[in-house]
Amino acid sequence: MEKPELVFSDLGVGKKFRTLTYPVTMDLVRTFIEVVGDDNPLYEKGLRDGAIAPPGLAAIYARLSYLQDHVMPAGGVLAKQEFEFAAPIRVGDTLTVNAEVVESYVDEKARKRVTQLIHARNQRREVVTTIRLSVIWPK
Amino acid sequence: MLAHVNVGGNLPSVEKVISQERINRWAELSGDFNLLHVDPAYAAKTPFKGTIAHGPMSLAFLNELMMKCFETDWLNGGILADVRFVSPIRPGDRITVKGFITAISNRHDRHYAECELFVEKQDGTKAVIGRGISPMRISG
Repeated sequence: MEKPELVFSDLGVGKKFRTLTYPVTMDLVRTFIEVVGDDNPLYEKGLRDGAIAPPGLAAIYARLSYLQDHVMPAGGVLAKQEFEFAAPIRVGDTLTVNAEVVESYVDEKARKRVTQLIHARNQRREVVTTIRLSVIWPK
Repeated sequence: MLAHVNVGGNLPSVEKVISQERINRWAELSGDFNLLHVDPAYAAKTPFKGTIAHGPMSLAFLNELMMKCFETDWLNGGILADVRFVSPIRPGDRITVKGFITAISNRHDRHYAECELFVEKQDGTKAVIGRGISPMRISG
């Protein structure tokens, strides 16, 4: 069954999405490194449990955290983004990612603006990444 | 790791060629199969007049640059802020990820490098702009 679109009326302040579980596997890290073309030796090509994982994965799990049960309507614009990295993520970690709507309003130009605050924690419940995403929602 | 950290100093750049194949692989990796990215026939009928790369792929490139410069310091308090996508990146574009240091500050006994960051296309157009603030070790 197709997922429904996530629309502005679903996104009131305080809306929380169900927790995303995101395992940082060797396969994921290897594929990421290959697609991005990032050959930083710190990642050890993702070939070892415990190797550092690239921080760029944050953009992927942030998006997935609010789109597990929905699809994004066409035409959204990422207006502003901020990522804060608190601790390294390692191959073999399992992240839990929680997104919450912290701002939702229609601006003076009738644009639907939504800001989400997203926290990713490792299996020890330590916050590893905090993300703030502001999006002009299409409908 | 940067050998010299000076205000105004350039960060080492990173170059990439964007292909439709790379965009398709990012779609698989991220689960974002928006037709604007992966369907040239559909995308040709949109105001973009063709497929464009996913914005988050550029975030990965900015992170790549900051990791190259600041290594694990970036992962222990680094902030990627005010990122804006100002021009689409298309298949065939050759991009350069670059930046320079705008300030060095000290907070809570840690040194920070503040950087302006860009993704620039082959014609000099900026596609993405943002700021990176990284803790850093100062030797000596």
